[in-house]
Amino acid sequence: MGPGVSRREFVHRLGAGFGSVALGQLLARDRVDRLDPAAIGHQPHLRPRARRVIQLFMNGGASQMDLFDHKPELFRRAGQPFDPGSGVRVEAPTSEPGKVLKPPFPLRQHGQSGRWVSDLMPQLARCVDDLAFLMAMKSRTNVHGPASYLMNTGSLLPGFPAFGAWVGYALGSEADNLPAFVVLPDAKGLPYNQRGNFSAGFLPVAHQGTLVQAGSPSPMAFLRPPESAAFVTPEASREGLSLVQRWNRRHLEAHDADPRLEARIQAYELAARMQLSAPEAFDLAAESPVTRRLYGLERPESEDFGRRCLMARRLVERGVRFVQVWSGAGGPTGNWDNHANIAKELPPMCAATDQPIAGLLQDLRARGLLEDTLVLWNTEFGRMPFAQSSEGRDHNGGTFVGWMAGAGVRPGVAHGQSDEWSWKVAHDVTTTYDFHATALHLLGLDHERLKVLHLGADRRLTDVHGEVIRAVLA
Amino acid sequence: MRFLWISLFWTALAGWAVEPHWSYAPLREVPVPGGDPASGRALRPVDAFIRDRVKAQGLKPAPEADRSTLLRRIHWDLTGLPPSPEDQRRFLADPSPEAYEQEIDRLLASPRYGERWARHWMDAVHFAETHGHDQDRIREQAWPYRDYLVEAFNSDLPYGRFIEEQVAGDVLYPQRPAATVALGMLAAGPWDESSLRDIREDTLDRQLGRYIDRDDMIGTVLSVFNSTTVQCARCHDHKFDPIPQVDYYALQAVFSGVERAHRVFDRDPSVHVRRQALMRERRQLERGDPALLASPRVLAEVRQWVAQRGPKPAAWVPWDAHTFLSSGAATLERLPDGSYRAGGTRPERDAYTLTRAAGGRPLRAVRLELLPDPALPHQGPGRNPENGNLHLSEIELWVSSVGSNTPRKLRWSRATSSFDQEGWTAAHAIDGQEKTAWGIHPREGQAHRAIFELAEPLRPAPGDQWSLVLRQSHGGAHLIGRFRVSMTDAPGHDSRILPPEIEALLGRKDRGRTPDEQRRLAVFVVRERLREQLASLPEPSRVYAAASDFEPDGSLKPSPYPRVIHRLNRGEITQPRETVEPGALGFIEALPARFSVPPDAEEGARRAALARWLSHRDNPLTWRSIVNRVWLLHFGRGLVTTPNDFGRMGAAPSHPELLDWLAVWFRDEAGGSLKALHRLLLTSATYRQSSRNEGAAADPENRWLGRMNRIRLDAESVRDGMLWINGRLDLRMGGPGDRQFDLKPGIHVTPRVDYSRFDSDAPEGRRRSVYRFLFRTLPDPWMEALDCPAGDQLVPARENSVTLQQALALWNHEFSIRQAAHWAQALEARKAGAEIPWDDAVHWVWGRPPSPSERQELEEYARRHGLANACRLLLNSNEFLFVP
Repeated sequence: MGPGVSRREFVHRLGAGFGSVALGQLLARDRVDRLDPAAIGHQPHLRPRARRVIQLFMNGGASQMDLFDHKPELFRRAGQPFDPGSGVRVEAPTSEPGKVLKPPFPLRQHGQSGRWVSDLMPQLARCVDDLAFLMAMKSRTNVHGPASYLMNTGSLLPGFPAFGAWVGYALGSEADNLPAFVVLPDAKGLPYNQRGNFSAGFLPVAHQGTLVQAGSPSPMAFLRPPESAAFVTPEASREGLSLVQRWNRRHLEAHDADPRLEARIQAYELAARMQLSAPEAFDLAAESPVTRRLYGLERPESEDFGRRCLMARRLVERGVRFVQVWSGAGGPTGNWDNHANIAKELPPMCAATDQPIAGLLQDLRARGLLEDTLVLWNTEFGRMPFAQSSEGRDHNGGTFVGWMAGAGVRPGVAHGQSDEWSWKVAHDVTTTYDFHATALHLLGLDHERLKVLHLGADRRLTDVHGEVIRAVLA
Repeated sequence: MRFLWISLFWTALAGWAVEPHWSYAPLREVPVPGGDPASGRALRPVDAFIRDRVKAQGLKPAPEADRSTLLRRIHWDLTGLPPSPEDQRRFLADPSPEAYEQEIDRLLASPRYGERWARHWMDAVHFAETHGHDQDRIREQAWPYRDYLVEAFNSDLPYGRFIEEQVAGDVLYPQRPAATVALGMLAAGPWDESSLRDIREDTLDRQLGRYIDRDDMIGTVLSVFNSTTVQCARCHDHKFDPIPQVDYYALQAVFSGVERAHRVFDRDPSVHVRRQALMRERRQLERGDPALLASPRVLAEVRQWVAQRGPKPAAWVPWDAHTFLSSGAATLERLPDGSYRAGGTRPERDAYTLTRAAGGRPLRAVRLELLPDPALPHQGPGRNPENGNLHLSEIELWVSSVGSNTPRKLRWSRATSSFDQEGWTAAHAIDGQEKTAWGIHPREGQAHRAIFELAEPLRPAPGDQWSLVLRQSHGGAHLIGRFRVSMTDAPGHDSRILPPEIEALLGRKDRGRTPDEQRRLAVFVVRERLREQLASLPEPSRVYAAASDFEPDGSLKPSPYPRVIHRLNRGEITQPRETVEPGALGFIEALPARFSVPPDAEEGARRAALARWLSHRDNPLTWRSIVNRVWLLHFGRGLVTTPNDFGRMGAAPSHPELLDWLAVWFRDEAGGSLKALHRLLLTSATYRQSSRNEGAAADPENRWLGRMNRIRLDAESVRDGMLWINGRLDLRMGGPGDRQFDLKPGIHVTPRVDYSRFDSDAPEGRRRSVYRFLFRTLPDPWMEALDCPAGDQLVPARENSVTLQQALALWNHEFSIRQAAHWAQALEARKAGAEIPWDDAVHWVWGRPPSPSERQELEEYARRHGLANACRLLLNSNEFLFVP
């Protein structure tokens, strides 16, 4: 923020990070309502169906044909050379294309909608009538780094704001003691691109995803002084804060009304309050044994992901706008990047997430939150219908699957189709841009109007592309 | 409303057709507005332009700031550190009217200046020390470019030269090693290792990756030097600026011969020149350039080499060992033909030692023959049970002399062999690394030989013992099964093993060789010679930079020719159209849009042409861009508020005449001296104004500069300032970046980085922030909270945010708290009697002593909670963070 930024713009910028409501009241009790939405562009453009988002991100490229995209052709031709015919070149990014590989575990139809789901996801299979599947999603690359950026920021390149950052920028937070955009990484580590996947890019830094380490004794950084600093007692902090604030107010009076000076005073007030209130949001102790079981917390294989799904629910309940829950860290193993052996590598990932995801959907519904919470299940690309070595699968940006549920989503539908192999999209394609446009639409945001001028162009989450997929809207 | 839009549209269109956009127009000599008659003295030009507009807006300029404020302002601004209380006393006591100018000169001469301004440049070019993306690997040698910047600013390298060095210093200033280091700019940004090194070469993803990678280089160069958003023309003609798509691809062609890689250079200029010449010759050779291979010089060289090789082969004498041992308890059996066969125990690893008395003649080379044997697995010659392969990790020759207890190891100069397994060459047996080795797979069951030449002949001395050690450390019983050793005193060119085809060519007279055979012979001879010459030079330095000649890393290899660039329809890799020649932007009429680079020229010629195009006096963007950048960094707001975009979507200049006047002055009178520009701006009355002014409300954004802007300290200033104030700042300059985090191997390439486990009192925690190691996808959270960029985007001007995260970081982070404690300790140590030196302490952070009531508050608080807590408060105060 430059020195000459107007007070109004300042309120907007600070507010979009933490605690817009409270700050608005504190700073400009009589101003917030008079903000000009058109000038600022952070009010919904349309009638919002969703007020908040939980995005479950399967890091590594979840295998669509092994999970949801049932292809009889793969069973029929298993072990034969992969030949899509007509001299089409077949390439795989990291390997020599192998023989056709059939899914090692059966898929079956479920629910009224008759969606196909792998036996590896028995709990999710019971929820299919709540979900809207995007069966022909398409990426622009077969490489993790750019593909993860594309799904998370709408650009193949680093340096662009994440989906959650845009949403926070546009809508602010509903909480005065929590960030708008929270990221819950896998306990094993950060995903590909690390914090690049949830950076604020060229938006103000306040919009970046705030990392919360769910299993850690101090889940959020800097909430309290380090244990080593014994001299910083709570009284020293409390009395100290009031003295600093007295100086700061005196300093402010002696200077022109500089909104930044005022803002720092308020930031310290809020910080002090957040130190007290935020830990409650991260504390799962108050959750009943039934709830904990519902999220799979009693089983070691699903404990980590389940804990984070449960925390996601607690966070959206308390007004966080966008929570991203990651499954799997970066690297070639221990995530959804199953190059070596689908039969061995995919089941543990499903076991880690199946119960927690089904539990989350059920819990949100039971609490009435599914009405206005959008749940997204995504990955950066899919996998190849043919084998890498003999039992794994290489990356495939040609087609992959994602699903949506909750606020404003038409349940039990499936949009789009891949080809007979699940090699490339066939029709009713959902590009990553279409996906973002649709999710923004549900949040009441017009993806063509949510833009920021940066380096000579109006930058959007959807670049110059994107169409809302009407078929999945309720 | 609609009418307004339509008329605006036509005005814009007409403007485009008739008059060029302000930034593309040639620089104008602008007359300075007349002096201010009321003041009775002529205004300095900068002030004349500013005051002219201030008056026109009906505003009144602010009074001059008080002297301690001015001192604080220039110290932070030029060095990123606050003045000490002594500095203040000295400055306030200096009655000279020149005191202020002298202080500026003193600061500009301080090495701290280069450190401060290098960091601004690092932001602008998005420098960081890891690749970014999913394989965020550390670039071990990115830091020399950072040191280059510090040095360039400190030595006040003229700006035109600064541009040229960073784009093509290797070509334009080959005598100056630093000019090659400057190419770090082109490689400063992120790099997608998966796409560009690891995936298959034959994929579209790889090609796409290359275009995207060059896009970053182009964007960096054109945004930083010309404030032009050329990337907008990647998919179609620029929507707002007159940049056709083909101009964008012409810029792609400028960089189509370089990759980002570790590039060699030598700090000793004479070695640098020598190595670069040899490398150039090697590139010529690998391209098969007839200008080299058919040159009289090379023809003569080949003739001489053939003559030297001579008709008679070297005479080999058996290595008669009196002792031969296996360290792995295998048995070594000597066979009648003088060879040895290993048997018995088959250890994982082994080392054979064969010791003999010194021979009668000097020793120049050792020959190792590997022999097949029916008694060995798969006929040998190795003992590996799977296939009969072996790995010779190292071969060593030791001499022990009578009367000396310590044997001496000799140095090899070269290894040649009859056959090398791919990636396991005989040279690996003399590289001093146990991990690498010579192997012969898949040609097991056959005889092979290798010859190892000594760097210096070994003269025999009576009583000397010569021991040959064959280390086989690979594991998995990759052991030698049957072998024979002999030695010779023949010079290398007689004993060396030549490739069979070269050996065959030697047998024939010059005229008996076809031109192609002659060429192949020349290639061999020159390659051998270059290898020797390069090996004789001292170990080079490396810098991560744009490079066309570097060690291949997996499938990342230098391209012998610049890659052919196609215009991509809609920017799609699947829709290549016509090829495009190197060039730049056509809208600058004074300069050529396409470079006439000969087709066979090295890629560097393309970059050199772009460098000259950028640094040209008639490129108006270049000079407007830099004076605006410097203005912005001093005043907190640019004359153009979009420093990287002077196009139609960017902001118009608030003071177009001043901008042009400055650009011309900087180019012509200052000769591109940035220090002169700093001096000009900092001595202006405009800069010296108070940041408080009665009429502020009339110009809330301070567009007209009727007052000075209040500047919030940036992340580096806050961090360095804290360390400076408590006396712990370590002023050592340069070298590898300080890793202020705990570093562990990650799951894959990207390491695990944990900032919370770093002890901020460690030596790596005490130097200036410009020397911090910059991890792209995981930046330091404390620095980030204060808006320090991560290096994933170009940052011409930092955010200046106020956030809760920032308040929490300053208030609670271990670093801030630790610095407060150190400061308290330092103050305790300086205590005069029972008195804490409050005046000095507060002076450091607020630039003034505390008022009596403030002093009382501090004392009271310190009494209740200790001095360290009181220091914590001072470091969190607004008056510390904002320079008035």
